[in-house]
Amino acid sequence: MADIHRVAVTGLGVVAPSGIDARQMFGRLASGESFIQLHTIDQPPRPVTQPAIHCTGFNAEASIGKALAGTTDRSVQMALTACFEAWRDAGLTRNQEGRQDYGVSWGSALGSTSTWERGYREMWQNGRDRLPPLSVVLGMSNAAASHISIQLGLGNSSLTYVAACASAAAAIGEGFKRIRNGEARLMVTGGSDVPLAYAVMKAWDALRVVAQGDADTAPSSCRPFHPGRSGLVLGEGAATLILEEWEHARARGATILAEVVGYGTCSDHSHLVRPDREGQVRAMRLALDDGGLAPDDVDYVNAHGTATVEGDAIEVDSLRTLFGDRAARVPVSATKSMHGHLMGAGGAIEAVTTVLALVEDALPPTAHLDAIDPACEGVRHITGSALRGTDARVALSNSFAFGGCNAVLAFRKADPA
Amino acid sequence: MDTLTVIREFLVDRLEIDPARIQPEATLEELQIDSLMLVELIFECEEKYNVVFERDVRSPKNIGELVSIVDEFVVEAQKAKQA
Repeated sequence: MADIHRVAVTGLGVVAPSGIDARQMFGRLASGESFIQLHTIDQPPRPVTQPAIHCTGFNAEASIGKALAGTTDRSVQMALTACFEAWRDAGLTRNQEGRQDYGVSWGSALGSTSTWERGYREMWQNGRDRLPPLSVVLGMSNAAASHISIQLGLGNSSLTYVAACASAAAAIGEGFKRIRNGEARLMVTGGSDVPLAYAVMKAWDALRVVAQGDADTAPSSCRPFHPGRSGLVLGEGAATLILEEWEHARARGATILAEVVGYGTCSDHSHLVRPDREGQVRAMRLALDDGGLAPDDVDYVNAHGTATVEGDAIEVDSLRTLFGDRAARVPVSATKSMHGHLMGAGGAIEAVTTVLALVEDALPPTAHLDAIDPACEGVRHITGSALRGTDARVALSNSFAFGGCNAVLAFRKADPA
Repeated sequence: MDTLTVIREFLVDRLEIDPARIQPEATLEELQIDSLMLVELIFECEEKYNVVFERDVRSPKNIGELVSIVDEFVVEAQKAKQA
């Protein structure tokens, strides 16, 4: 049996409408600010418009260089940008030699969708019968992990997890396990996705689970737990957490932001899209058991909270079941109300948010929650702005995906060294 | 537009290579043109000349050799189109 190693979070990076600095993003989320805007893709056969998270300020060439930007999909460009920022944030330097004990564990639900859509348009709409030769390597689903590995010199595992909206949570959890089991010393973990492709937006719209809104109402269109909620908001972006073996981090003098203590994953094995209370409770219990924790230890839950009518009610039911009599005192929020649903990257941006909630002792709110659906009552909803000064020590980050895949991460505040 | 200019414009745009370095004697290795980029470059030439090369490009050592190969292929492809 291999030794069990503690796992530290030592660096964070994001690509969000607020920029690449995770703390700057968190500060705005803590104040209850929504990044959601109305977004239009003006392409044939007719424009598609939805409230969405669009990183308008993102400049791939400025972030990763023109050569790399020219040979990567937008989702990979965002992944690399978030990873470079997290690497810098962790105080790491690029090493030409690379490290065989450093790896990457990445999540993406959609891969390089924009590249494939562009290819289809060229062939079927514009009548071309050839595609650029790099289309294959731009479009492959593991392109982000591959580029991250090459750019940062990561010679350990380079794996991509595809689990719909739980992709990044699974990637972080699996990366965590590799370090804990002694198979790696450092893992670059997280996720990226760009669902703002024409067909993807139309497909989600067809499911009738996308929040509606105009230019004025778009920012407040995603309302988890609210009686008037109408669905999720698609978002593009990326988020990265540098996970590191505890003693390795201490030895190089890294700042330890938090500890990953547990990871639980399971399948509902019941329905493709209907969430399942038993599966969700099981995943949360697995994460707590994994960290040697009990439900009573949990001080904050970053809910999956997509703002679908059925999903939110079932998640709150799951939380009531897990926490029992204490449920009404457990602070819960759904930050998708502000940063949107980043699909395969959702678990990563929420894990970053959860870590910073512990670091800053500020539990971010569910925005626009001026009324609570009776079906979502029974937990302590955080409304308005961040709940500060609770001295939260342990937090869960929930990801419950289509396909019945559940992934839950448990974080603990880093004790002062 | 001559082939050296096509190649130079492509490499400046894609790899941000200083155009002054893209000379006939410059090797592909020193310009960091790997096999993937070579395939893209050939595709670019085909697009510019509106032809499809029927043969694979041999591994040229330098830009001058690449220009010769492309020019030869363009002539072949144009003849094939006219035939």
